[in-house]
Order: sequence, then C-alpha cells, then structure tokens
Amino acid sequence: MNKCRILFLLTLLALAASGFRSDQPGRYFLSPTLSLPADHVQAFTFDFKDELLDDTLFQTRSKEGFPLSYHRRLKTSVCFDDKCRLLDVAIYWNITGRYLGFELPQKEYLSKTDHEPFTTDEYQRLNALLADEQSPLGNMSYEELVPRPYFTVKGIDGVTSATAKSVLDYIVKGAAYTTYKMWHFIYGPTQERVTELTIKSLSPELIMKILESGDAYDKLWALNHINGHVKPTPQILGQLLRFIDNRNYSLSERAINAISPTDLQSDSVQVLLLSKLNQADYSQKKLLIKKLKEAPFLNADVKTNLADQLPKLSAELVGDVLVLFQKFGVKDLPTYRAVSQLLRSENRFIGSKALKFLQDAGVTDEAISREMAAFRTSQ
Amino acid sequence: MKRRSALASIGAISFGIGSKEVDPVEIVREPYKVKKQSLKTDIVVVGGGTAGVIAAIQAGRAGRKVILIENGSQLGGTTTTGGVAFPGIFFAWGKQVIGGIGWELVQEAVALNDDTLPDFSIPHGKHHPRHQVRLNGQLYAMLIEEKCREAGVNLRFYETPTRVAFQSNTWTVETVGKGTNTEITCKQLIDCTGNGYAAHLAGYKLLREAETQPGTLQFQLGGYDFKSLDLKMIQAKYQQAIASGQLVKSDFRNNIVGLLKSEGDNIQHILGADSTTSETHSLANVQGRTALLNTLRFLRTLPGLEKTKIVDMQNETGIRETYRIDGLYKITHEDYVTGKLFDDAVSYSYYPIDVHDENGVVPDHLKEGVVPSVPLRALIPKNSKNFMVAGRCLSSDRLANSALRVQASCMGMGQAAGAAAALACKLDKTPLEVPLKDLRQLITEHGGIVPGIV
Repeated sequence: MNKCRILFLLTLLALAASGFRSDQPGRYFLSPTLSLPADHVQAFTFDFKDELLDDTLFQTRSKEGFPLSYHRRLKTSVCFDDKCRLLDVAIYWNITGRYLGFELPQKEYLSKTDHEPFTTDEYQRLNALLADEQSPLGNMSYEELVPRPYFTVKGIDGVTSATAKSVLDYIVKGAAYTTYKMWHFIYGPTQERVTELTIKSLSPELIMKILESGDAYDKLWALNHINGHVKPTPQILGQLLRFIDNRNYSLSERAINAISPTDLQSDSVQVLLLSKLNQADYSQKKLLIKKLKEAPFLNADVKTNLADQLPKLSAELVGDVLVLFQKFGVKDLPTYRAVSQLLRSENRFIGSKALKFLQDAGVTDEAISREMAAFRTSQ
Repeated sequence: MKRRSALASIGAISFGIGSKEVDPVEIVREPYKVKKQSLKTDIVVVGGGTAGVIAAIQAGRAGRKVILIENGSQLGGTTTTGGVAFPGIFFAWGKQVIGGIGWELVQEAVALNDDTLPDFSIPHGKHHPRHQVRLNGQLYAMLIEEKCREAGVNLRFYETPTRVAFQSNTWTVETVGKGTNTEITCKQLIDCTGNGYAAHLAGYKLLREAETQPGTLQFQLGGYDFKSLDLKMIQAKYQQAIASGQLVKSDFRNNIVGLLKSEGDNIQHILGADSTTSETHSLANVQGRTALLNTLRFLRTLPGLEKTKIVDMQNETGIRETYRIDGLYKITHEDYVTGKLFDDAVSYSYYPIDVHDENGVVPDHLKEGVVPSVPLRALIPKNSKNFMVAGRCLSSDRLANSALRVQASCMGMGQAAGAAAALACKLDKTPLEVPLKDLRQLITEHGGIVPGIV
C-alpha cells in the first residue's frame, strides 16, 4: 500500500469517527441507520469491474461490531468535448446500500463547466440528487445530458430530445457530468458489494435496529432480508405485525411477506394474523389468507372464525378461504354447514364455489346434500 | 415390446410388408361448415383487453352470466399482446387509489414471478415510472384467463362483432369468427374495444382528433454492449441515413441513442397507428415491423453493432389513441388536472397528462395531492340504453384522455362498468338508474376504490 493511500485511509478513519455530520466543510451527509460511534474500519478488496483503479471498499464498524457505513474513493476524470476535470471525492453508503453522503479531501472542491466552484446550496442540491436511486439519470447515457446538437452535419437538424429538456431537474446546473458520474458510481457495482457485506453481518439484533430506522428505504430493506437470512425472534415478529395495517401498503405487504412458515407454527401468530385480516383492506386480506396457507396447520379458532365470516366476505375472498380449508383438509360438519349456507346466496358465483368445495369434500350429510341438489337444479 | 422388435414392426408397416391391404392415410372429409348458434347471456363484454377482462370478471363474480368476445388469441390487450407490461400507476401521494380486481391480478402476477413491488410510500416526484410495476406479460395473460374462467366467463376468442342492435330491451350481438357465426342476446353490453367499435356498430356517435398519438411496437434488441459504443459516431451515421431517406426520422423519435439504451422498450413511434379495423391495424403492424427491420439492418452496419439482433418482438403494435364516445359527460383537461370529484364518480384515474408526438413525450405531472376521478356518465354514450364503455374510448377530451387511457385507470373503469352492468341486470334497470349507493357498495365489496368513500 503506498503512502498516499495510507494517508487517505487515516483521513477517512478520522472523518468516519467524527460521525456523519454535514456541518463540516466538504462533508454532505444524510442520516445513517445507525448513529453509533465508529470504532474501526475494515478494508475489503473487490474486482468492481468499473473504470477506477481503486479496488478497496471500507467498512466502518461500531464497538458492538455493527456495520455503520461503507466508503470508497472516486478519483476520476470528468470529460466532455475533449476537456477533462479531476473529480476526487469519497462516496459513502449506508449499511442498507442507500447513498449516505460524500466527502471532499482537504483543499479539494467541486467545480462547474465554467470552473466556478460549487456554492453551498449546490453542494446540498447535489447531495439530495444523489440520494434519488430512481433518478432518470439511471436511464440516460452520458451523451444525452445536454440539450444540444450531438454533432454537426451540414443541413441536418440538431438533436434536442425531450429527455434532455427535463434533465435539469436531476443535475446541478453547470455540473451535469459530475452529477452523472457520481450518481452512476453510487448506484453501480459497489452498491451490491455493500449490501452483500451487510448481509454477512446480519443478526436478529441488527435487523431489529434497521427495522427501527426512521428511513422508509431501510425498513423495506430489512423486511426483504428477514426470511431466509435471520432466525425469527419474538421481537422481530412483533415488529412485523405492527407494520401490518392500512396506512402504508408497501410496509404492510413486505411485512406479510417476511413472516415465515416457522413463525406460523405459533397458534398465537395465526390468531394475530386473523385479527389483522379483520381490519385489512381487500388487497391485504388476499395476502393474509395466502400467508395462512403457508402454515404447517390451521389453528382451530382461526378456522371457526373464518367459517363464521364466510357470508360477509366478497365472492373472491370466499373462494380464497375455501381453498385454504381445502389445503388443510378441513372436514367437519360445522364447517360444512357454514359453507352450505352459501348455496343460498343470490350470487351464483358464490354458490358455485360452495358447491365445488362440498362436492370435493364428499359431504354425506343429508340436509347438506339436499341443499346441494337444490342448488344444482336452480342453475 | 423390446426396442429392436418394435422398430422391426414399424419397418414392416412402412413398407407394406406383412399386410395385404393398407388403409389410406389421406381421406376425403366432409367439407368445412360454419357453425351457427344462438347464445343468451346477461352481459356481453366486447374486447378482452385491459378494461374488458376486469369488467367481465367483476360481472361474473357478482353472479351474472357473462360472454367475453376477443378478436385475438389471448386476453390482456395492451398489457400482453401489445407488450406494455407495465400497467400504469395504482398509488398516488402515498395512498392506493386504484385497487380491486385489477390490482389483485397485478399483485398475483408479481408474486408468481418472484418480482418485487416498488416502494409506493415515497411519492414518485417528477419521475412517475418509479411507481410502475413490471409484469411478465405472458404469465399475466394466463393468469387473467384463469380468473375469467373461475368467474364463469364464457371466453370467445377469434371473434368480432359484425352487428349490434337493441330491440325490446335486449341487445343482439352478431359475431363472426373462425368457423363460427354467433348471435348473442344479452341485457347489458360493455364496449371495451378501446376504439368504440361496438358503440359505432350500435349507431352511437364517435369522436376523433385530426391527429392522434403514435402507436408503438414493443421489442427487445440485443447483441451489443451499450457502454462500449461510440455514440457520437452512431448519431452521425443515423442522421446521414435519415437525410438520405434510408431511415425515417419519426420511427424512433429521432433518437438512436434512446433506442440502443432502451433496447427497444417503448421507444418506437408509428404515426397515425389505429387498431379500429383489420385494415388499419394491419397497416400499423406492418409499419412497425418494417421500421424495425430497416433499422436493424442499418444498425448492423455500424461498428460495435454488427451482431445486433431481435431478442423478442410483440405480435401487434400497441395503440394509444383512436376514437372516443360522445358520452353523457365529457371529462375535460381542466377536470383532470384539478382532480374534480364528480357526484357520480365510480373510480379514480392517476397519471400525468401524457401526449406522445413525433418528437417524444414530456409528461405533465399532476399537482401534489391531485387524484382525478371518473364519473359513470363518461362511460355511457348519449342516447344509449344498457350500453357502456370502459377503457380509453371513454368520453373525454384529448388531453384528459392521454392520461385516462393508461391501463390502471382502464382497470378501475372496467370494474365500475362490470359492477354497474351486473346491478342493472339484477335490478332490471339501466346502469344510470342503478342507485349509486348500491353501485359503490358492490365495487368496494370487490375491493375497488371509489372516490369519496373512506
């Protein structure tokens, strides 16, 4: 490792230890998931398959061993029309892979095409633009950034695409290529390495901390990394159940997905899901019934409650509940009776669902058989 | 039978050894006959596209007998055959605004393909595609077909109406298909052709702009590494090819970089594309394929693009705009961008004003908090009875239509039309006479989201 790199490393460690503060010159940061003090920095080398010579990704950890952030040095040329400027900046990622901030080496600054240094407002705008993972910059080529003719051919119109007209919303004016380079670096191959390293450090404790983050992206990231990554704990399960409501569809949908078949071994979890079902909107009701299908068995109270609800459910949900009963081989007379009530529904779609269920179950009860026969005749 | 002896037997039969007389393989069969039949149902839906599928499922789940006529080979229309497998936006300003059957189908297609939904809790800002859900189009086609069949919908593929007439409170729809000639009578008729085709046959007035939005043939290019291309050189060669008449400027929005970057996704423009009749749709398909083939040949002459190939291509050109009905109410641009809440609103719509022209498209986003609504009257042609439309041919001005035409909104309308038709059958009323309270209740019971109902 050369002297220059060691110096850079030491600087980064010192800065990392100072936390992710934006109130120091040359540092622009968003809120990290974990605001614990930095304890040590670990270096990882990868073949990033990008244009940089630097192959090192640094992970900052807390005393407890939780990863806190990642950073990598972006030292490259920003070129257009055969003119180049040096871009030298450290890019930081949060542990969930989202952009965290950037930091300029001492005496370095960012400049625009007219060589004017960035103002404070422009640095802050850049920080905000870089935080947008879904920026249209992701679908643009370097050449599409500036709305002007790409070339000069006599007699031919210049190219001013519609996309280029709106590019100003996604760049710092006068620094389109710097914004573009930084954005593509942040959301390039390094981001995946960041999340891979965090996944290796995942524990129920870390998942809980990420679930408690104030950032919606972090919460969703954690929800996507529970099933198959960490052993479920009562604390995690409690948090998942709290997320299931009608206020935030995305959180709720991922939380339902994050509940594993192992969690559903618990009768109380099934009963809690049933209570969520009773309050949920249509989209989530379907997801919750589907989730119950993953359980190793169907809790008796859940079964009885669902059977009691059948007359009140919409046609499609009736079908879902009957499929659930079929899956668990529900074959008791009270349930058959509840289902047979549906044969009297004025909605023939519901009646047909009930008839199919009862036929497939091979019901022999005389009263129910008569109702089935009456339904067949009425169709 | 052992393999050796089996082969020996086959050989013997092939050469006529071992049997004195061999039955002829080729026989004269009875000449082909067109099957004529009469069917009776509660509701006929014409067009199995984005809106028609939802309308048919809704009506079927509400207990009505439904026949769905589709002139193609599969359901889904723009989403599937057109290849626009990103069906619009269902969430606005952190809340779901279009739900019900359409969302149920999208949700199931996403789950069955192990895809992940975008995070809807964060508003999309000025870049609405971040809330688009990408579907596996062919999977979606199978899923919606299954849902239709579960709802008891009688699917009639490869058929198209030739006559639509209303007499004694009954609609008669005559259709022709491959070897079929069918007369269907029904109480309610829903036109989901997107072009007002059945409305025209029924004699209702249609409106159309002098200039309509271009269509798009969806395809996928491959065989090159975009990052390694010399885009300046490619641009120059592209402009030269346009100047010499080898390529047409408007075919790919004068944007060869966009074509290569997108690999063909939603980039082609076919001016004047119209799917209303077999002739106009054939023309749009041929124009789309010709433009693509010419451009492919051109691309393969350029350094770095020599191995460019077509990875996939849709069978049909997708169409954005043709005819609209002259309805009891015409939704205006002003209504749309101000989010007017109609007294008879039955569904929401949510999309930027999105008019494509030969230069491309610059979406005009709605102001924060604005969610437009669709009144029932916009689905009903003037002077009609027991007839509705759902989908892009609803009654609206051109700018409002450029947003209303998008699939999620069409799904919402489809569910509303299906519910209104089902209730009209049940109560023996016209859709307009159905108590709005009952209609809204039925839609919400089936998961739909009705404006003004919390």
